[in-house]
Amino acid sequence: MNVVQVKNLNKSYPSFDLKDVSFSIEEGRIVGFAGRNGAGKTTVIKSMLNLIHPDSGEIVFFGKNLKENETEIKKLIGYSAGTVNWYPRKKLKDIISVVRKCYDNWDEKAYLKYLDFFGLDENKTAQEMSEGMKVKCNLLTALSHNAKLLILDEPTSGLDPFSRDELTTLFKELKNDGVSVFFSTHIISDVEKCADDIIYISQGKIVASLPKAEFVSRFSEEGESIEETILRMERSNENARHINKRV
Amino acid sequence: MQGILIKEFKLSASILSYLFIAFGLMFFIPGYPVLCGVFFVTLGIFQSFQSARESNDILFSALLPFSKRSVVKGKYIFVCIIELCSLIVMSIAVILRMSVFLNAQVYRANALMNANFFALGIAFVIFALFNSVFVGGFFKTAYRFARPFVTYIILSFLIVGIAEALHHFPGFENLNSFGTDNLPLQLILLAGGISFYCVVTFVSYKKSCERFEKIDL
Repeated sequence: MNVVQVKNLNKSYPSFDLKDVSFSIEEGRIVGFAGRNGAGKTTVIKSMLNLIHPDSGEIVFFGKNLKENETEIKKLIGYSAGTVNWYPRKKLKDIISVVRKCYDNWDEKAYLKYLDFFGLDENKTAQEMSEGMKVKCNLLTALSHNAKLLILDEPTSGLDPFSRDELTTLFKELKNDGVSVFFSTHIISDVEKCADDIIYISQGKIVASLPKAEFVSRFSEEGESIEETILRMERSNENARHINKRV
Repeated sequence: MQGILIKEFKLSASILSYLFIAFGLMFFIPGYPVLCGVFFVTLGIFQSFQSARESNDILFSALLPFSKRSVVKGKYIFVCIIELCSLIVMSIAVILRMSVFLNAQVYRANALMNANFFALGIAFVIFALFNSVFVGGFFKTAYRFARPFVTYIILSFLIVGIAEALHHFPGFENLNSFGTDNLPLQLILLAGGISFYCVVTFVSYKKSCERFEKIDL
């Protein structure tokens, strides 16, 4: 069963276009959404969260149209946006006391488990936290309401290698609990480590949306890591763009 | 909806929004343009919008399991509750000035506007203006508020100036009634202010919902 279907998403900005983006995420899969900075990852994610309005296209979560079932869908998904600061002068416990009231599916047991897992101090404010801790705070709220799908925008950015490793291990544990994880990243090694599927976006276009093994067999040259494959593909895209520009 | 209101009062609000409710007490100050108190209350609410913007409040709210319409509704309810709290303070001052302090020389010798039901009606008009020009203007972008606030300041002080001076013009003397003098007129003007507040705020809320729905966050 598909937990998300993104169909023919288009969005034009003065200097950037999202072109006919389509992909789907199956239940219980870890999907790495890879692409360089500015490739369109955040624009796609924001469209999936109804934060920006695509010029055309449709987004369906759990078989339901996002526009018509926004509130219901938001309860079933958890979102974390890298190191975005929410209320930098408020203590974590004050923010959580509000978030807790917003979800009727809030799971206090899960909250306490992940609070301990991430080693967070509830009495700290965001401005007293490191970038990595802010990422963990965002993940904490995303994980504490039994979300069926986690949408994580650059969750591993700003984390040290140990925390990144812990996080990718956590993704695998969540997957075993039936949770689907969709995370964007420009750190391809994280995709390589834990993703079941890879969606690779370049210059606003989906280049590939495949299971990891199929991605490797189709695009990787012998002995090449996924990171090297994507780097090579990105360079050839870049070269083609420069040639087109000159022409 | 309850969650978004708790968020407004616990996370988004600046402490100044609560403290500045006390500016309603300016309705007691003799020889002072009492309607400035209304402006100061809105200045307190403005502080909440400012601190909310610094805290990425709108994006945070939009990610919670509520519709975008609820996010707008939460902001409007917060603003209206602060305004109504200050109006309660102003009403107490007006009733005391109309009864206990009816003959107090400091109020009788006041060249400016008397704090009566007409003044209260004008307070409603100024708040309506704030809700429409500032709050409605804010939701055009959900982050820019300088222009709406400056526009509101100009318009509100224009209304304060006109209202404070109006009773000096021939034919408008009754607007400065003391106690229960010309009570029907005072009550009609108050009712006019309340109606204006309700209609303008509701229209502004509806427009803000439409605007916010179209914004890319």
